[in-house]
Amino acid sequence: MSNHSHEEAGTGRTTSPYAARIRAIEALLLEKGVLTEPEVQDSIAYMEARSPANGAKLVARAWMEEDFEELLLSDAKSAARQLGMDPEHPAEFVVVKNTPEVHNLIVCTLCSCYPRAILGRPPDWYKSFNYRSRAVREPRAVMREFGFEPPEGVEVIVHDSTADVRYMVFPMRPPGTEGMNGEELAELVTRDSLVGVDVPRL
Amino acid sequence: MGGSPGGPIDTGQHEVEDWERLADTISSALGAKGLQTTDEHRRAIESLEEYRDLSYYERWVAATEKLLVEKEILTRGEIDERAAEIGRRWGGP
Amino acid sequence: MTFESGDRVRVLSSEKPGHVRTPGYLKGKAGKIETLIGEFPNPEELAYGFSGIPKRPLYKVGFLQADLWDDYEGPAEDHLYADVYEHWLEPAEGGSA
Repeated sequence: MSNHSHEEAGTGRTTSPYAARIRAIEALLLEKGVLTEPEVQDSIAYMEARSPANGAKLVARAWMEEDFEELLLSDAKSAARQLGMDPEHPAEFVVVKNTPEVHNLIVCTLCSCYPRAILGRPPDWYKSFNYRSRAVREPRAVMREFGFEPPEGVEVIVHDSTADVRYMVFPMRPPGTEGMNGEELAELVTRDSLVGVDVPRL
Repeated sequence: MGGSPGGPIDTGQHEVEDWERLADTISSALGAKGLQTTDEHRRAIESLEEYRDLSYYERWVAATEKLLVEKEILTRGEIDERAAEIGRRWGGP
Repeated sequence: MTFESGDRVRVLSSEKPGHVRTPGYLKGKAGKIETLIGEFPNPEELAYGFSGIPKRPLYKVGFLQADLWDDYEGPAEDHLYADVYEHWLEPAEGGSA
C-alpha cells in the first residue's frame, strides 16, 4: 500500500463520495502494478515543485533585465529553464505582455487549462463555470469583481486557451519600485496578476 | 460554456483536500505512462452526464474512472467494492 | 499551411459530434489570423486514443469582441484571441479589423 498520508478514519468529516473512489483506484492500480509507488511519489513531487512563486520569479527577473524580458516573451520555456524550472509539457507556454495600451486576461472556457508546469494548480475561481462563461463575454465586469479596472483608453485582450498553448500574463512593473531587489519585486507579483484579473500593487 | 450567462465569481479558495491532490497525482502519473492523455481525460469529463452536478475534482475522478474502465485496466465492480471497503474503514455506515 | 498572418477567416459552424476544441461562441464568427502557432496532433482524435497524426496547423486568431457579442459593454478596440485548428477555419471576405 502507498505510504503517503491518507485521510484518517473516523474524523467524522463530510467529504465527497469520490474521495473513497480515487483511493480505491490508487490502491487497485498499485496492487496490479499499473502504477508503482515511485511513480506516484514522482507525480506528487512534480506538483509540489510548482506554484505561482515560479511565475513571480520569471516576472521579477524580466522587470530587472531587458534581455530576459525578451526571452520570456519569445521563448518562455527557455526563460523558465534558465531560472532552474522544469517547464516540460507537450503544450506551448506563451507569456503575453501588459502595456500602457493593452491589458491581457487569460481563460480556458473549455476546461480550465492553465500553465500548471510552471504555476501548479489553478485557483478555484479560474475553474468555476462563472469565470469560464463570463471572462470571454464581459472581461471588464469580471475584473471589477477582483477590484481591478484598467485605466481609460486601455484595450482589454482576452486569450481563450482553447488548444495546445498555456498562457501567462507579464504584468507591468508598478511605479515606485525602482530600488527593489528581485525578491522584493517577486513578492508583488500575485497569482491573480499572472492570470490578468488584477495587477501587482505596492 | 463561453459566453453563457453566469453569476458572481466566488473568489474564495478552498483548502485542497488530500483526495483532490490524489486525483491530480493519479491523473498525472497515468499521463506520464501514456495510459491517460489530456485529450482523453477532457473528452471523458465532457461526456459525464453529471458534469454540472460535480465539483472540479469530482469530475476528474469520474473521468479517470471512466477511462480506466473503458481501457479495461480496472472494472467498475472492483472499484465499487474497494471504495465501499474504504468507506467502512473511515467509519461510514 | 493554408493561412498567413493577417488573413481574414471565419470559424466553421459545424456541429460535428465528439470532442472538439472549438468553442461554440466562435462558430460562424469572422476574425483575423494573428500567427501560426505550430502543428500538433489532432486533439479530436487523441481524445479517443488515436494517434492524431498527421499533425494539424493551429493558429492564433483574433476577433473583435463587438463582433462576438451583441451586448459587449467594452470599447470597440477590445479583442479576444483563441487558438483554432486550420480544419475549423475557412477564408472570409472583408469586414472590420
